[in-house]
Amino acid sequence: MRLHTLVLKDISRRRTKLGLAVLSVVVAAAAIVAVITTFSAATQGLYEESNKFGANIIVKPEVKTIPLVAGSTPIGSLSTGENYIEESEISKIYTIKNNANLAVVAPRLYGIAKLGNSSVVVMGVDPDKEKKLKSWWNIQGHWMAAGTSEPNKTEVIVGSDIAGPLGIKEGSQITLNQGNVSINALVTGVIERTGGNEDGYIILPLAASQYLLSKEGKVSSLEVRALCNNCPVEEMSKQIEEVFPGLEARPMSQIVKNEMAVVEHTQSSAMAVSIITLLVSMLTVASTMLASVNEKLKEIGIMRAVGASNTQIVFMLFFEGAIIGLAGGVIGFAVGTIASAFAAPLMVSVTPQPMWEILPLAAGICALTGMVASLIPAKRALGVDPAEVLRSV
Amino acid sequence: MSEALTNLIQVKDVTKKYRLGSNEIEVLHGINLEVRDGEFVSIMGQSGSGKTTLMNIIGMLDRPTNGSIIVKDIDITKKSQKELVEFRRKTVGFVFQQFHLIPSLTAYENVALPLVFAGDKNDDAVAAALERVGLAHRMYHKPVELSGGEQQRVAIARAVVMKPQILLADEPTGALDASTGSMIISLLKSLAGEMTVIMITHNKELAECSDRIVFLKDGNVAE
Repeated sequence: MRLHTLVLKDISRRRTKLGLAVLSVVVAAAAIVAVITTFSAATQGLYEESNKFGANIIVKPEVKTIPLVAGSTPIGSLSTGENYIEESEISKIYTIKNNANLAVVAPRLYGIAKLGNSSVVVMGVDPDKEKKLKSWWNIQGHWMAAGTSEPNKTEVIVGSDIAGPLGIKEGSQITLNQGNVSINALVTGVIERTGGNEDGYIILPLAASQYLLSKEGKVSSLEVRALCNNCPVEEMSKQIEEVFPGLEARPMSQIVKNEMAVVEHTQSSAMAVSIITLLVSMLTVASTMLASVNEKLKEIGIMRAVGASNTQIVFMLFFEGAIIGLAGGVIGFAVGTIASAFAAPLMVSVTPQPMWEILPLAAGICALTGMVASLIPAKRALGVDPAEVLRSV
Repeated sequence: MSEALTNLIQVKDVTKKYRLGSNEIEVLHGINLEVRDGEFVSIMGQSGSGKTTLMNIIGMLDRPTNGSIIVKDIDITKKSQKELVEFRRKTVGFVFQQFHLIPSLTAYENVALPLVFAGDKNDDAVAAALERVGLAHRMYHKPVELSGGEQQRVAIARAVVMKPQILLADEPTGALDASTGSMIISLLKSLAGEMTVIMITHNKELAECSDRIVFLKDGNVAE
C-alpha cells in the first residue's frame, strides 16, 4: 500500500460527498470546453467560408473626394473619377503576375430601375461566373439563363426583400423601366434570405442590365476569386491596381477580419464567464474538502500519531484535490463537447468536432484548480493537534 | 552510571500548562520519572490527574511547557518537528482506548500505515505483527467487521509493526469487557521485554500485572 492508495480508498468511501465537488468542476470545465470548441469551430468556419469563395478581391473605380473650401470655410466635397470599368478591358486582369491564381473574374453592373411605381436596385451579372461565386445561395426556382437574342426580353432572379412585398415569385412576369428603356423579364427564381445586399436586388444578365441602364460595354465592379488557400491577396490587389490605373482593388480579407473580430469578442466574453465559473468551482472544491478535513480530524490525528509527516498530509490532500479536478476535467470535457455539438449549430451555424487536443490541457488545469483549492484544507489539516483530537473522541 | 545506561526514558521536571479561555491550568507539576529498558510500567490516577497528558508528552504528541524528556540519553524536547516525526515513526507505538483504527482500511492496511508513512513496503512485518496478535486470519476485514477486542489487537499490531522501543497504551482495556481486557494485558505483558511498555489504566488488578505502578495525583507522582 502506498500513500496515493490511501487517498483513493478514502475518495471511494466518500464518493457521494466528493461528487458535489467533482460536479462543480464538471460544470466549469464543460463551460470552458464548450466555449473553446464552439468558437474554434466558428472561427474555422469563417476561414473555410472565406477560403471556399477564394481570397476575394473587389475591383472598382477609384473615386477621389476633393474638399471644397471657400476662403477658410468648407462648403462640401467633389467626387472625381470614372464610375465604370470598360468591359473590354477586363481581360487585362489576366496579365498580372499571379494570373494563374485567378479562378473567377465576375463583372457586375449596378443601377436603379423602376418596377411599377417602385424604385429597385438591379445588378447585372455573368450568370455562369456568379453561380460559382454564390454557390451557397438557395434559390426557389433556378438561375436565369445567360441571355437572350432580344435585348428587351430576359430572365431574372429576385432577392427576398423585393419578392415578398411585391408578391413576386417564380414564374412571375415583370417589367423593368429606366428612362425610355423597358424590358420584360421572367422571374426564374427567388433567392432565399442571405442577410446580404442581394436580398434587395433584382439580378439579371449583364447584357440585359447594360441595355436597361444604357451602359453598354460598362461594368461597375469586378469580383475576383483566387484559386488557392493563403493566396498573396494583398500582393494580387497591388498587381491588379498596376494594370488598371484608376481602379481600386480591395481584398475581402479585411471583411473576414472584421467578422473574426466579432467572433473573438464574443468568445472573450464567454471565456470570461467560464473562468468565473471555474473560480466558483474552486471555492466549492475548497469548501467540500475543508468539510472533509473537519470530518477527518481524528484520522489525521491518527496518521500523525503513527508517523505521518506534514509533507505527507499535504501530499494526500493535494492528491485528493488533483483527483477531484482531474475527474471533473475529463467528465467536463465530455459534457462540454456534447453540449457544443448541440449548441454550436444553433449559435454560430457550425457543427464542431471534438477537440481531443485540449483534453490534456482541460484536465491539467482542472487538476491544478483542485490542488489550489486544497491549500486552505491543507492549512487546516496541518493545524491539527493529534493529542487534542485523539483526546476529544 | 549503570543506572543511566539502563534507563530508557527519563522524565525531568516536566510541567504542562494549558490555556482555557483567560485561565491557565497547570496539569503536570514538575514530574520526574525514570523507566528502564524493557520495563512494563502502569500509570494510575484519578481522572484529570494528568496521565494521558504525561503519556502524550513521553510520545511527543505534545510538548511539555517546561522540563525535558530524555530517551536513550537524548533530550527529545529539543528536537525539531521533522525529527519528532522520525522519533514517533521509529521509537514509539501508540495504543488508544478507542482503538482509533481508520474505518475505510482493512486490518492489514491499518497495521501497514506506519510502514507506508516510513516509505517501507515490508509486507512480512505486517503479516508478522498480525500473527503476533493472533489475527492473521482476519487481516482483510475492516474494523466494523471486528469485535472490540480484535480491533484493539489490530491497534496493538499497528503500534508494534515498526518494532518500536517504547509502547504507550492509554487505557487499552477501557472499552473492553473484563475477559477481553485480560487478554489484551497478557498480550502487552508478552511484548514487555522486547520493548518498554507504559500503560495507563484505572484498573488496579490489571495494573498489578505490570512490573511497576506509578500513581499520579493532581499532576504529581505519588508512588
